[in-house]
Amino acid sequence: MMTNIEVESNFFRRASRWKLILILLVFLLLLTIIVSLNIGYAQISFIDILTIISKQFPFLDSMIDSSLLSPQNTSIILQIRLPRIIAGALVGAALAGSGVVYQGVFKNPMADSYLLGVSAGAAVGASISILFAAGTSLFGFRLVQVAAFLGALMAMALVYNISRVGSRVPVTTLILTGIAVNFFLYAIVALVEVVAGDELTSIIFWLIGGFSNVLWLDIFSVTPFILIGIILSYFYARDLNMLALGEETAHNLGVNVERSKKVLLILASLVTAAAVSLSGLVGFVGLMVPHITRLVIGPDHRILFPASILVGAIFLVICDAAARVIATPFASTLELPVGIITMLTGAPFFILLFKKKKDSYAL
Amino acid sequence: MVLLNVDGIECRYGSVKVLDSLHLSVKPGDFVGVLGPNGSGKTTLLKSISRLLKPHKGTILLDDKDIYSLESIDVAKKLAVVPQDTSIGFSFNSLDIVLMGRNPHMSRFQMESKKDMAIAKKVMLLTNTWQFANRPINELSGGEKQRVIIARAIAQEPKLLLLDEPLTHLDIINQLEIMDLVKNLSSGGKIIILAVFHDLNLAARYCNSAILLKKGKIFSAGSLSNVLTSENIKSVFNVDAIIQKHLVTNSIYIIPLSPQKTPQYRKCSIHLISGAGTGTGLMKILIDEGYPLTTGVLNVLDTDYETAKILKIPVIAEAPFSPIMEKSRRKNLTMISKASAVVLASVPFGYGNLQNLKTAREALSMNIPVYVIDELPIERRDFTNGKAKELFEDMKKNGAKFVKDQNELLALLNVSDEKLKTIQKNDIKYEAHLKPNTRSNKNIFHNEAK
Repeated sequence: MMTNIEVESNFFRRASRWKLILILLVFLLLLTIIVSLNIGYAQISFIDILTIISKQFPFLDSMIDSSLLSPQNTSIILQIRLPRIIAGALVGAALAGSGVVYQGVFKNPMADSYLLGVSAGAAVGASISILFAAGTSLFGFRLVQVAAFLGALMAMALVYNISRVGSRVPVTTLILTGIAVNFFLYAIVALVEVVAGDELTSIIFWLIGGFSNVLWLDIFSVTPFILIGIILSYFYARDLNMLALGEETAHNLGVNVERSKKVLLILASLVTAAAVSLSGLVGFVGLMVPHITRLVIGPDHRILFPASILVGAIFLVICDAAARVIATPFASTLELPVGIITMLTGAPFFILLFKKKKDSYAL
Repeated sequence: MVLLNVDGIECRYGSVKVLDSLHLSVKPGDFVGVLGPNGSGKTTLLKSISRLLKPHKGTILLDDKDIYSLESIDVAKKLAVVPQDTSIGFSFNSLDIVLMGRNPHMSRFQMESKKDMAIAKKVMLLTNTWQFANRPINELSGGEKQRVIIARAIAQEPKLLLLDEPLTHLDIINQLEIMDLVKNLSSGGKIIILAVFHDLNLAARYCNSAILLKKGKIFSAGSLSNVLTSENIKSVFNVDAIIQKHLVTNSIYIIPLSPQKTPQYRKCSIHLISGAGTGTGLMKILIDEGYPLTTGVLNVLDTDYETAKILKIPVIAEAPFSPIMEKSRRKNLTMISKASAVVLASVPFGYGNLQNLKTAREALSMNIPVYVIDELPIERRDFTNGKAKELFEDMKKNGAKFVKDQNELLALLNVSDEKLKTIQKNDIKYEAHLKPNTRSNKNIFHNEAK
């Protein structure tokens, strides 16, 4: 039992403790990225990697001797590995962040980023565009990505509008509508798969999720959505704390529940849509990362949200690196979808976690 | 100054009217119990005041402002709610939960300040929850959790506190502690408390006024003694109840009577001779069994006399602490002569009530069967130097039926009530206690006792 003084000093140290956690996670993310850059078929040393990266910063450029670098390695790092890793970090952050939001709004640890049909909508958009126009681009953006993004937003709008009762969006109706719309849209995806023929493999790869052939342009096109969504969501971190106590309680504590809920769900869906349009349906990040983070640092969304985002980024970068390591011995050209890794590691871990900690959630 | 003013609100769920033209105005220092049966609109009233269910008609003013025109955060500065359901999805610490009560006083980007922490500590000490400030709320017991939720509500520094059945799931000591706590809050005179209760006695003990709801309308409102009358309880809850002043707490005390068993309205009546509380249990049982019942002679202030009065049983009364006078004895005998049988409870006999035993003996002579409940041996309750014992032996010889307890008595009565003589109509007005509250019965026993 803590003494009274400890409770108080503990409380006042909280802000600095939170800062420390975030700094630590940022450092860990950078470390993961650098280590991950080292992984792949071509052997490139850490020194070369650091030199190549450092040269990208204008003020460091002149100070670094780059004469020993091979242009080929520079290209592998900057055009192949780095975009892939950045995409992984971005998608991991987005899915984990939206997962936190969904779990908070729905007051339910089983909620995840794909609950409201965003994934299914994206899948419909992606699979149809792969079937009819694989490889085409629209104003420089890949058509698949644009179609997935639009599909996700349309599914979200559909679920939201069906669930709406006057100006309110009851959580139970949302969940049930989400499930129904998911089933309906996945039926369309299945239909597309049946008639897909040669394009079936591409569709399946997209559905599992991965970062093969990600280009910088693909990343730049979704980054604003993800960043803005995450930043705006963070303004509602304290509202999420109170929503986790139930909507009535949140209301009584001064939260404009319907407004906060709408803003949060739209932002989270937007972030998810942007992420899956980039990576396909990477599973389990949005469900698991918030869980693990909550177990370690507690349920306060003011730290849980940013920490989950960083943990999500780290987790997906590691998974993607693992995907590459596992594929390399067999064929240098095979790209193993990262979604397989997240699901293979995520599912057993999740079961373990749930069996151990099932008492701590009063559902 | 009126702080909360509910003006003619009407609430519906779909087409069902749940609250109907309801008026209520409450001022600081009031601790109002919201009472009524299930489905009478108590929770709906709290919901509409806490802006969860907008009334179709009417207004709710808080500090002269329509609460439905205010922002959530501004309402939360003045109004706090302790809800019925306090389940919490994630394992926040007690302190986190209490600090959330400071939310309405913080801007979006603010962290809790030293002042917020000081307030949280103050209310947690007040609610006796500070010692588990760092423990997850889900690991606390029901009573501890409820105190944390109340602490959170107080941390909001509200002017109006709504409690929706705050005592459900709590054991008796927690109920009292929480009621004491809430009472203390209201007695400061700065805060209005509106609380829904199912336990009328706890409400009667702690609230300083009450509203009684029936089918969405205020049936009665005002001071507890005006609201909690047996007539009101009968018409709202459909339960017969005895209202008394509690000797210790000096508050109104309600004793609900279980609804009468299928009254058989037996044709044979019983006259009960008891005293010193020995007949109290029997009276209720015999009435529930459907026997028209009379009793006497009992001294006024005797427990049995009080019970007879409450149960509206015709009784021959004697002045307090007096021996049974000849006049009363004769009246008792007259009453007995009209009864089908006499039951003699296991009452102690002294010189004051030996007359009652003699009367029982006389009943035998009048060929009226006498049932003697012989729970305690007569030797141990004879304070007349053997005179009572003598009478007992005599009664035994002359055919009094001795039973060891009330169960045996009921069994025996059941077997023999066919043989007992049936009562004459209009002899005694038994309907009083057989059909409670069908008419005013206040004078019946007095009439009989005259």
